[in-house]
Amino acid sequence: MEHQSRWFSLFIHLMALLVALVILAPLAWLFVMSISSNADLSAKPLQWWPNEVDLSRYKALLSQTDNSAGQAFVASLFNSIKVAGMATIAAILVAVPAGWALSRTPQLGWVLGGIIATYMLPPVALSIPLYFILAKFGLLNNVFGLGLVYLSILAPFVTWLLKSGFDPIPRDLERAAAIDGARLDQMLRIVILPLAMPVIGTATIFAYLLAWDEFFYALLFTSNQEAKTLTVAIADLAGGRVSDYGLIATAGVIAALPPVLIGILMQRSLISGLTNGGVKG
Amino acid sequence: MSTLELREIHKSYGSFATLKGINLDLESGEFLVLLGASGCGKSTLLSLISGLSDPTSGEMTLNGKTLNGVHPKDRDIAMVFQSYALYPNLSVARNIGFGLEMRGVDRSSREAAVLEAAKVLQVDHLLDRKPADLSGGQRQRVAIGRALVRKPQLFLFDEPLSNLDAKLRMEMRSELKRLHQMLGVTVVYVTHDQIEAMTLASRIAVMREGCIEQLGTPAEIYNRPASRFVAEFMGSPPINILDTHQLPDGLEIAQGASFLSGLSASQPVVLGVRPEALKPTPFEGALQWQGVVDLIELTGPEQIVSVMLNDTRVTATLPADLALTIGQEITLFVDPNRLLFFDAQDGQRIDLCARQTAVA
Repeated sequence: MEHQSRWFSLFIHLMALLVALVILAPLAWLFVMSISSNADLSAKPLQWWPNEVDLSRYKALLSQTDNSAGQAFVASLFNSIKVAGMATIAAILVAVPAGWALSRTPQLGWVLGGIIATYMLPPVALSIPLYFILAKFGLLNNVFGLGLVYLSILAPFVTWLLKSGFDPIPRDLERAAAIDGARLDQMLRIVILPLAMPVIGTATIFAYLLAWDEFFYALLFTSNQEAKTLTVAIADLAGGRVSDYGLIATAGVIAALPPVLIGILMQRSLISGLTNGGVKG
Repeated sequence: MSTLELREIHKSYGSFATLKGINLDLESGEFLVLLGASGCGKSTLLSLISGLSDPTSGEMTLNGKTLNGVHPKDRDIAMVFQSYALYPNLSVARNIGFGLEMRGVDRSSREAAVLEAAKVLQVDHLLDRKPADLSGGQRQRVAIGRALVRKPQLFLFDEPLSNLDAKLRMEMRSELKRLHQMLGVTVVYVTHDQIEAMTLASRIAVMREGCIEQLGTPAEIYNRPASRFVAEFMGSPPINILDTHQLPDGLEIAQGASFLSGLSASQPVVLGVRPEALKPTPFEGALQWQGVVDLIELTGPEQIVSVMLNDTRVTATLPADLALTIGQEITLFVDPNRLLFFDAQDGQRIDLCARQTAVA
């Protein structure tokens, strides 16, 4: 592909533009909706760009007046951050040793099969037992309870991802460290984990997104501002008699911000984690 | 003084026995090479000594202290890996000093030791780099430096040169030898390369199917191989193996190409003779073998010549300046003392007194 013709390279760029357009168009429309007035949104023919920028919905959603829609929304935003954050951190803490152990003991391959099998189970199959377990421990409508449920979803996924991340790290490095006199924790901390950092970063982002986007369990196991997460709160906005599509779009934009922020922060590790599996000694 | 002692070492994986009773004594300052084809158990033996795996049975002691059940870090042993196994995220200096760091040596004496080892290995200008920025030879030096800096009782090398290209491998080989002469350390070195074994070792243990086939100095291994296996494993081009036939008054070689009168073997034997033992010029007491030149391969300093003796092909290394053509008749002269005899069945070397043979 050294000598592409000009037309070919033009074609490539056009296609890339097209793909970008397809991916970005819904997001752009989401944003446009969030700043359009209701009149503009219901106008026929459709207004592609609002006559005036209307930020009232952002104000409404972020307002802290008692018993307002804003208070409930902000509470759910923080609930989401808490639940997804706790579940992700716990999942990484569980999955790093588990993934490493699985990677270094091929005899345990069947465990990995079991892990993937649990991951394949549809959530609805587990919802009733989980409900009873949470009820028994008094963890219904509780961020810790929901975090625990999310941990059970994230841990298998992250373990599996990290196992394949540890696989390409040569075992000779561990042998050398053992002969050099490193204890297990030193070996992991100084030698292995720095090399696995890109994969751990990738796993963190995916786990966080998975927890952030979860709707089904959150709907079942939470009932009010105490523990309700963003996905449920957004659904509530659509549940009234009149649906304010602009408001839902605004909530969508705000809900997208934290993951995007994390994505940007961890972009470098994400990219190297996805492309670079090998470790050159 | 004996440093490392191995007594009846066995290692099995399930029902498969990798090592079947290894006995070995290592003198202090010795350079022992474990030589063998892949799968002969030489790397397994090395990992047992290093403590990375445990023997199924048998005893190991280092300077009188048992090694059985002792963690690798407490064995006072250093190892250089085929893959170098440098920590990619640490600088060269930290790689070399890692063992000292883990043993809690304070910073200033650590830095001094690292610098000293780096100077010996000529990598002192690379201390701030990461392993990825080094060439293969430099990585190898750093890996050796990491082993060296701790001044362990015993060095283990696991095919350390096989990832290098041919030229670099020769350089590093000489350097290892020089290093060993300079520091007088005790080394166990695993390789499948017989040239490395010959050039480096003070003693070679030729291994085969989990047993030590022969243990001896390079000269012993080469000139007095214990078995046909050892004889064929050592030397390039490989040793010639010729069929013999017992006649009432002597031993006939290669369907009558030569005859050793007065020799009798109690069992069927084959004859082995090194290619360089076949000479183009006559000398006192030599056997004469007549044949036809079949193939000539010039290596530069010499030529490898295939000669047909009746229906048997033998290889001779002859001087390059000897003018030969294909199909030409040639007489090869052999010192009878350099003939080796092996049992045709089990391959063990047999001493037949071949001194007073007359030329047929």
